[in-house]
Amino acid sequence: VSERELVTMSGAAVPIASERASLRAVLERVPLLQVVAVIALYVATVVAIPGFGGVPSIKALLVLAAFVGIASVGQTLVALLGGLDLSIPVLIGMSNVAICQLAGGSGWPFYLATVAILLLAALIGGANGFLSKRFGIHPLLVTIGMAAVITGAVRAIAPQGGRATAPAPSFLGDIVSPASSTGPIPIPPLVLLWLLITIGITVMLSRTGYGKRIYATGSNVLAAERARISTLRVWVATFALSSVFAAITGILLAGFTGQGVIFAGDPYLFQTIACVVIGGTSLLGGRGDYVRTVIGALILTELTTLFSGLGFDSPTQEALLGVLILVVVVFYGREEHVRNRI
Amino acid sequence: VTRASDRIERFLRRPWAFAAVLLVVFLIADVIAQPALLRPVFLGRTLTLVAPLVLAAVASTPSILSGGIDISIGPLMGLINVIAIIGLGMPFLNEPVPMAIAFVVIGALVGAINGVLVAVVRLQPVVATIGTYLVLAGVNVRLLPVPKGPAPAWISTFSGSIGPIPGAVVLMAVPVVAWLLIRRTPYYKALYAVGGDEVASYSAGINTIRVKLLAYTLGGAFAGIGGIALTALLSSADAGIGPTYTVVAIAAVALGGTSLAGGRGGLIGAFIGAADIFLIQNLLTAKGLSSLWLPLLYGSILIVSLVIGVLVVRRSGAGVRT
Repeated sequence: VSERELVTMSGAAVPIASERASLRAVLERVPLLQVVAVIALYVATVVAIPGFGGVPSIKALLVLAAFVGIASVGQTLVALLGGLDLSIPVLIGMSNVAICQLAGGSGWPFYLATVAILLLAALIGGANGFLSKRFGIHPLLVTIGMAAVITGAVRAIAPQGGRATAPAPSFLGDIVSPASSTGPIPIPPLVLLWLLITIGITVMLSRTGYGKRIYATGSNVLAAERARISTLRVWVATFALSSVFAAITGILLAGFTGQGVIFAGDPYLFQTIACVVIGGTSLLGGRGDYVRTVIGALILTELTTLFSGLGFDSPTQEALLGVLILVVVVFYGREEHVRNRI
Repeated sequence: VTRASDRIERFLRRPWAFAAVLLVVFLIADVIAQPALLRPVFLGRTLTLVAPLVLAAVASTPSILSGGIDISIGPLMGLINVIAIIGLGMPFLNEPVPMAIAFVVIGALVGAINGVLVAVVRLQPVVATIGTYLVLAGVNVRLLPVPKGPAPAWISTFSGSIGPIPGAVVLMAVPVVAWLLIRRTPYYKALYAVGGDEVASYSAGINTIRVKLLAYTLGGAFAGIGGIALTALLSSADAGIGPTYTVVAIAAVALGGTSLAGGRGGLIGAFIGAADIFLIQNLLTAKGLSSLWLPLLYGSILIVSLVIGVLVVRRSGAGVRT
């Protein structure tokens, strides 16, 4: 326990050195800067790109943000443990191929195919969590290895080396279309689903025992174990959830692209990490939440829209995303100086 | 008997012990599957093939030892690869010594930028170097949208032999010599101390900022040499190839027994780990397996090896920091 924590625990106020420090403390609790960025970027895009603006543009933006947002659920949860999941893109690709092949090609009912895919995903994710925690191997390595295993399996089993032969079920296209609405509600079903997921994950993290165990394990494993938390179970469950949400993304993505490809998830590797980081959740564990990642997903999508609208090609966009990540973390992702950690 | 068991125990205590056992097993399996592997003609070609991977792992090692990580090693090697070709036809590209030094300096400078971001600005290493990864990968494609060749003549000689010595060996020897020199300086112990326990090192009066900054700079310089090896292998430039080395290099370092938590491992581990991974891939290809199955077996062997490594050697403090 550091000296500062002791001060806090004894009930005395932590002295605030300066105005800047107090501003930082506020930003640690509320993602104020990020919310401002979401609004500012929207205004900038409306000004910069003729024809952008109004309800249809917002719907299209939200649909795109929903994909990366749902894919980032897992990265957020895993980051709260202080881990990293590099197998998310491959799980997206796997379920992208599987839903087309099973529901489209082999004639399985859609719900059955979905349940089967999500169960498989949970199993894979659970294995990631188990191997990382039980054997003390960095999750970066375990998920790299797992990603290779799944890529190989899908490419070997699926026809045409990882490409589904059947198209995606057609109603998936309606779910993810920015133009469609959910019954009487004029919101695309995908966006509504994202909203429900956001509420669900937020309640889970802040109100349930499992949520508290995630934060406890992520902040201090030893302390969590002393408090009789089975940290292994927390890791297994959290990595399983990560894979399940990646699989959900892959299924939905099939509706968007109309086809199933193992490489469909590739752009999501750095994008999910970017959303988590831009939102302000620490990759070291214990600090952050999913609402921040939602805001991160909105910022990322707005930026991509703005950049493409301005005519930047994809390598330039990639480089600018890198610069953005660096600028953002310089603002609020800095660690404490060593002298303050003694 | 006691002396022999002592020796075995001392061997097993080395972080790279398990990787070395794997190396022997894979080497035997590879030679059985492909007897030509050790013939001089093939050996030169094999070394050229393995050199970029070895150097990528070597370049990843200092930052990992310091308790961080450098994701941008792959695209940094790619940057050198692109620069080596992009000014094709310009006479200065054909000057071996100044250009080789320039590549190492460029690598060191990019490494130093990572070092500043991590040590001075205090960003989380994964995040900071993902940022530079994306910048470098984007810049590489902007500089060279489509693959282009051939490589300058002096770089191509590294894919053959220089006198009796294979060119790849010369390239791989550079970081080894540098490392042996560093071992004689106080920096070597400081690096392991900072990686093992940064707070304690700071309390003991070590300039932890400078130690970390230098670690990333050193890794960048090694990546500069890796870029030359990559260019020698491809005998052209391809902006898409460099980034693929990052993940394999980190896997190689970990397989070689270097702890991703920092402070444990070393350059030997990077060499052995990279050789292990190369031999796995080579074995799978030599057995005529469909390339579709390759990642599956490769991933399984990687995970199983890491697990067995933990169980057999019982590395303390490896992996997840608790």
